Amino acid sequence: MTIKKGQTFTASEKVDKYRALYYAGASGDYNPIHIDPEFGKMVGLGGTILQGLCTMAFATKTVTDWAGDPGKLKKIKCRFSAPVMMEDTISVKGTVSDVQAGLARVDLAVVNQSGVEVLQKVEAEVEV
Amino acid sequence: MSIDTKFIGKTYPAHTYEVGKEKIKEYAKAIKNPDPHYLDDDFAKKSKYGKIIAPPTFAVVFGAHLIEPVFMDKELNLNMAMLVHGEQELEFFEVVKAGDAITTTAKISDIKNKEKLDVISLELNSKNQHGKDVSRGKYTFVVRK
Repeated sequence: MTIKKGQTFTASEKVDKYRALYYAGASGDYNPIHIDPEFGKMVGLGGTILQGLCTMAFATKTVTDWAGDPGKLKKIKCRFSAPVMMEDTISVKGTVSDVQAGLARVDLAVVNQSGVEVLQKVEAEVEV
Repeated sequence: MSIDTKFIGKTYPAHTYEVGKEKIKEYAKAIKNPDPHYLDDDFAKKSKYGKIIAPPTFAVVFGAHLIEPVFMDKELNLNMAMLVHGEQELEFFEVVKAGDAITTTAKISDIKNKEKLDVISLELNSKNQHGKDVSRGKYTFVVRK
């Protein structure tokens, strides 16, 4: 695959009702804001919120699917800017911002169904 | 109360995590990632890696064993009720494979005291059983005050 500056790719992921529970079990992050809807309501979140690192994993999958080999991903970073709720749909759009010295830099836009950026400053580096 | 900046540079004891193949599969399913590199034994055997590999973000699973002691650190005394994960950076070197023993160390790389919040950053370095770097993580947490 020839990777060029300006190239884009997209993907989306529906956050099913129990996703935060699956992620809690797999990752060990059992913070009550992720697994207890009553607690989530009590602290003003309106229910449980998805672990930010799970949203980051969704964004990362978009990049590794595009690259075809998970080992080509060299770096990814993000800021957690808004909570992701169960039943949200997360859309990811990657844009190659630069290709240099065997590395493609990719900027990612990660938004929910209302267009709110749930992650910001999402940047990845992929071997090409 | 602000987090004391004297803790910048504080290190935490190394932790070694054995990467289980079934744990990789459980994690890959939890992040809804059916990539055969993580889930399909036959595919994995024929791949250039020769066995099941972990998704890059699996680094936060073994990394969590270093985050917990920081959160529990009585001397540092973080207000966990006010703490949120602000930013995350992950760098990847050698690919993590099923059966690897990953040793991770952690240090507090930065503490910033602001008017309404504190920011604390942790740097984690992970190596495999061959002494090769597998990942570096920077975890940034925000504590409102």
